Amino acid sequence: MELTRRRLIQAGLLTGAGLAANACGGGPSGKGSDSLAGKKMAIWVWDGCISMNVLKDGVAHFSQTKLTPSVIGGTFKQKLLTTMTSRAFLPSITGVKGEDMPFFKGTKADQFVDLNTLGADKLSSQYVSWKLKQATTKDGKLLGLPIDIGPCALFYRQDIFAKAGLPTEPKDVSAAMSTWDGYFDAGVKLKKAVPDSYLIDDGSAPFSYTVKQGTKLFIDENDRFVADQPHIRTAWDRAIKAMELGIVAPYAEPGSTDSNAAYNNGTAASSVGAAWHYLDLVQAAPKTKGKWRVAAMPGGPANFGGSFLSIPRDGGDHALAFEIITWLLSPQNEARTWVDNGNFPAAPASYSLPELTGPVPFFGGQKTIEIFAPAADKIPVAYEAPADAAVSAPFLSELKDVWAKKKDPEKAWNDAVSTAKQVAQREGVS
Amino acid sequence: MVATRAGTGHPRTRKRALKKRTLKKALRAYWRQYLAISPFYVLFAVFMLGPVLFSLFLAFHKWDGLGPMEFVGLQNFRFMVKDSLFWQSLTNTFAIWFLSTIPMLLLALVLAAMLNSSVRFGGFYRVAYFIPNVTSIVAIAIFFGSVFANQVGLVNVVLQWLHVGTVGWLTDSFAIKLVISALITWQWTGYNAIIYLAGMQAISSELYEAARIDGAGPVKCFLKITLPLLRPVILFTVIMSAIGGMQTFTEPQVLFGTVDATNPDTGGPGHAGLTTVLYLYREAFNFNQLGYGAAIAWALFLVILLFTVINWRLIAGSGRRDR
Repeated sequence: MELTRRRLIQAGLLTGAGLAANACGGGPSGKGSDSLAGKKMAIWVWDGCISMNVLKDGVAHFSQTKLTPSVIGGTFKQKLLTTMTSRAFLPSITGVKGEDMPFFKGTKADQFVDLNTLGADKLSSQYVSWKLKQATTKDGKLLGLPIDIGPCALFYRQDIFAKAGLPTEPKDVSAAMSTWDGYFDAGVKLKKAVPDSYLIDDGSAPFSYTVKQGTKLFIDENDRFVADQPHIRTAWDRAIKAMELGIVAPYAEPGSTDSNAAYNNGTAASSVGAAWHYLDLVQAAPKTKGKWRVAAMPGGPANFGGSFLSIPRDGGDHALAFEIITWLLSPQNEARTWVDNGNFPAAPASYSLPELTGPVPFFGGQKTIEIFAPAADKIPVAYEAPADAAVSAPFLSELKDVWAKKKDPEKAWNDAVSTAKQVAQREGVS
Repeated sequence: MVATRAGTGHPRTRKRALKKRTLKKALRAYWRQYLAISPFYVLFAVFMLGPVLFSLFLAFHKWDGLGPMEFVGLQNFRFMVKDSLFWQSLTNTFAIWFLSTIPMLLLALVLAAMLNSSVRFGGFYRVAYFIPNVTSIVAIAIFFGSVFANQVGLVNVVLQWLHVGTVGWLTDSFAIKLVISALITWQWTGYNAIIYLAGMQAISSELYEAARIDGAGPVKCFLKITLPLLRPVILFTVIMSAIGGMQTFTEPQVLFGTVDATNPDTGGPGHAGLTTVLYLYREAFNFNQLGYGAAIAWALFLVILLFTVINWRLIAGSGRRDR
């Protein structure tokens, strides 16, 4: 027990030791990787980052180099950061998770190659513009090309909706539940008709998705704390309202046994989430295949997640790395990643490919692209500060308390704001 | 002054010079031996001492893991004093330690006493009790998470079947601590039992024979002979489990999954399972506040130090009088 813990902490602190050693030695940058350029190229991904079949084909396609994909487990960002500190053994290409991009973009942009200098500016029309913006620094450097995006939608159980007398066809559901209020009304109706079933599986979802539907998050472009402003309060009140209406399922940590059971036994009649959320459902409740449908997101388009491929500055042959990236992320290959992994393509050209236009058996043969393609468009772009996740955490924690332990909502809000302010202050946000 | 006297051969200077010479001589004579034992010290210096010292340095800086560090003096510690989550994490850690260590050590004592009496298949039991300790903690935590799941967990299903109300094992702040403690107890009881057993086997059997002749029963033997003679071993296990318990991390981390990328490693609803090490991990590696994380680590170090001293006083204190 002790050993593993200690090692874990050490792993982090070693980062520092590496830096110190490097500062003393003042060694040339990336000498380890440069000497290998042309012979060997590493590409770092995590499990589920990109289709392994596409990667395998990429290895065969670029025979002029020995491309070796490594699936890095655990905390990917931390391992990448640690390796960047050592300035050696960096991969030529690396995945960067969407949630880590604000951190890298905000403070570590110099660790990556500006892809525009390699010709990405000519490709920019190939990908949805708002996603590229997420990887673009304030001074216009593009740090990564998008592997996927997470356009949000409403996943619902058609059989339960039918039992409750709610609209059942995706088109009708999209129309009736286009707003949060319309969605909640359906929840009240469902509760009356099917008492064991709840419309909302995750008590904090109305909050987090309402925030994602806006153009302002918890910290604004000028690095000011805005988490106590009306746009966050509105989102908060919406989540509280859902709980007070009694349309939220009993507390279950997302991904837990309880939450998986809720998808299986119909406790959760619907769930909002990004396109990739469909894989959660497939894995949690394979037996419900054919009973689910997808409708438009209540309250308008939003994005949740989606990753990038980037080129670390100290990682070797940049030009070839860029060539490999553009090959891996061609519309055709992004479509394959969707089929293999459930990562929704960031290249609109792939939306008309057969991989995406076909009927999906899990959704009873529904052509889900009809929902996801419009959802991928018109995503609101918000500035995400590196410290945004840390500042938003108290709100999610407090909301969880209201959901799980019936904490007084007003007290929870006040606690969230005061904790968030403290965190913001520590992070250097005023 | 020393320089002027050096030539005259001041006794202290001469002594120092002598020491230097013998050291050099020793190095020349025994360099192979030093080389042979060096791997440990080199690894220790690189992987333990270096990081430890660096973390102390880090505690006074603001750093996100890469790039320039900003010296902030005691600011991290000032934040910590005001940080209610930090204090909560300390209380959680102590509560979990308390709830796990006491049943764990008592159970271990009983088990060891039973193993020490001549039972059949003693070797089998020893291995059986030790197996939880070498089982992957992640697997155990996932298993416990399913067994104690609020709605569909085995424990609540049985409780429901017995018509006793269900317990919010993974929502109630006390129940969360109980689940984590149960997990730790389950994993470490066998380990401590083996240590106690070794201690018990070192106690001379003559003492027991003499006691038995004087008419002492097994309970009296246990209380009057085994326990007092086992005191140093008990002290060792208490301190070890204190050090281990103060660093509880994996259990709450796995129990309250990390699916949520924006708010990971919360330690469950109400942060009820957020231990100090989990909190420092969250701050350092999820939110890139490595300086603050290091500061928490050092605060925890001081707490463990204090705790060890108290433990020592409490348990070994009475032993000192005998000397």
